[in-house]
Amino acid sequence: MSAASPLLEVRDVKVYFPVKHGIFGAVRRWVKAVDGVSFELAAGETLGLVGESGCGKTTLGRALARLVPLTEGSIRLEGEDMAQWTGAQLRARRRKWQMIFQDPYNSLDPRMTVGHIIGEALEIHHLASDARERQARVRQLLESVGLDGAYAAFYPHEFSGGQRQRIGIARALAVDPKLIICDEPVSALDVSVQAQIINLLQDLQQERGVAYLFVAHDLAVVERISRRVMVMYLGKVVELGQAAAVVRTPRHPYTQALISAVPEIDDQSQRPRIVLSGELPSPIDPPSGCPFHPRCPVAEARCKLEVPLLREIVPGHWAACHLAGPASRAEA
Amino acid sequence: MLEIRNLQLEFRSDQQAVRAVDGVSFSIGPGETLGLVGESGSGKSVTALSIGRLLRTPPAFYAGGEILLNGRDVLKASNRELRELRGRGVSYIFQEPGVSLNPVFRVGAQIKESLRLHRPQAATEAEVVRLLQGVGIAAPEMRVKSYPHEISGGMQQRVMIAMALAAEPKLLVADEPTTALDVTIQAQILALLKDVQQRLGMSLLLITHNLGIVGQMADRVAVMYAGQIVETAPAQELLRRPLHPYTRALMQAAPRLGAEGGRLANIPGSVPRPGAMPFGCRFHPRCAMARPECSVQQPTLAVVEDGRQVRCPYWNSP
Repeated sequence: MSAASPLLEVRDVKVYFPVKHGIFGAVRRWVKAVDGVSFELAAGETLGLVGESGCGKTTLGRALARLVPLTEGSIRLEGEDMAQWTGAQLRARRRKWQMIFQDPYNSLDPRMTVGHIIGEALEIHHLASDARERQARVRQLLESVGLDGAYAAFYPHEFSGGQRQRIGIARALAVDPKLIICDEPVSALDVSVQAQIINLLQDLQQERGVAYLFVAHDLAVVERISRRVMVMYLGKVVELGQAAAVVRTPRHPYTQALISAVPEIDDQSQRPRIVLSGELPSPIDPPSGCPFHPRCPVAEARCKLEVPLLREIVPGHWAACHLAGPASRAEA
Repeated sequence: MLEIRNLQLEFRSDQQAVRAVDGVSFSIGPGETLGLVGESGSGKSVTALSIGRLLRTPPAFYAGGEILLNGRDVLKASNRELRELRGRGVSYIFQEPGVSLNPVFRVGAQIKESLRLHRPQAATEAEVVRLLQGVGIAAPEMRVKSYPHEISGGMQQRVMIAMALAAEPKLLVADEPTTALDVTIQAQILALLKDVQQRLGMSLLLITHNLGIVGQMADRVAVMYAGQIVETAPAQELLRRPLHPYTRALMQAAPRLGAEGGRLANIPGSVPRPGAMPFGCRFHPRCAMARPECSVQQPTLAVVEDGRQVRCPYWNSP
């Protein structure tokens, strides 16, 4: 891998799920959960992925973790095509990426001690020569996520939600991954605890140089933790740019509506509120042309016909909208 | 309209009694919106469920206090009086409309049932359609025939609101009504709640953990922590200038859109469990301003300014 190539290169990834009909289960239609997504992620970077339920963000995260197969496209990790890995080759590379899940209650085995949960990863990947070394590593990992090393002997039910999410993070870190896919890691937590976990993830990234794909629906959380933000709608990327630029000068009408819909503490209606009509259309039968046009407040005739491509509107800031120009609507 | 005085609520089992709500008092005027804010385990939801006496007793046990709804004490009401209070007095909507709706009945039938119970003279197809129209459902004549699973979460919540409004309640309790919804749908539902409240002149008790929603919806706010109210104030004043250390910490811990990066201020530790409350001030183990006295003295909720109450004797010290 040359120093210049990114950690992760995603090219035109599609994930379709078949919808079966009739007694013979013939596939009549497809749910286009992810429909042609491309992006890159540098080592040690955080890319935020936002969108509403059904936009494909979770499926994309799972596809990157090789938990669902790709219909089309390629994912390269450190320059190697992930789809080519099988058997021993795959096992040897599996520790390069890990996942953290939304629900810390369901993602830890209730019958295993915390030491066992974290130690299992070390054992599978032969990262400790004996039990003594493994125990020492587990203690270290627990301490690195702000928990007492003695907690190794406890069971998951003895912990609070925030502590359980720390255990999930320790388990992911055990194999020293290059990439962690975080799927809504703080949305089940109370505000006060959510801040602890966000700070912990940031500290760990600085210490270890791990990259995050941070999937979440809460824009304020995503903006806080990400260098760049990618917005998805109906399986497609509609906007991609620096976090601050996407939040302050969103270029896509969907992102503009999404941001204006966030109820803000210090908002005294100086911000124009865009309340979208309608709901997310079905990904089985997406609208023609621009997938957002039926709900878009500024749609024109051509939006119904032509699919907008993701274009670089200003350097480093991309949007898939026919009408997006270098002067954002807010500035115009 | 509603006045809760010194409510004490326990959950009892053979071994122990756990006090989940400890001396909560607040009132809501006609047409007013009160935001009840707190994290999980603060007691906000069980306080709200007590207004319609919806908690199963036992394990729940009302150990003291009064809940006056239109001047009548809910806690002393007979079963017949309760049936009247529920619906016409107070209606509820909850976080997960998919769980609250009955999956085997069409939505029209469920709204009609609510009408039959609370306004029998109005239990007609036309009234059902009118209610669905009032909550912004397109083609309501068609929708009455849908089953809950056939409609989206946002539309399910609209149906729940229509069911709650069928009884023409004086008070609507909305317990995290948009937490399970996407942010663009949340904006629609909040706008709808505000609209029907103004149209019908209802009072609204809005339970949420989201301070942004409070700012957008509430006239006044009560902040709960560990079974007690720690601060009450007019909503805008509280958000502009929170006085209790917990409210201040909570506001700093919530990431805001467009704010500069850097570390979030976090509150160490986690919310205490009912039954394992710290001595003295319940927030002191997590409080950045705690002093030795705080672990000994139970602070009281005291009026500190016009319309503002704070449960911290040191709120004004540096």
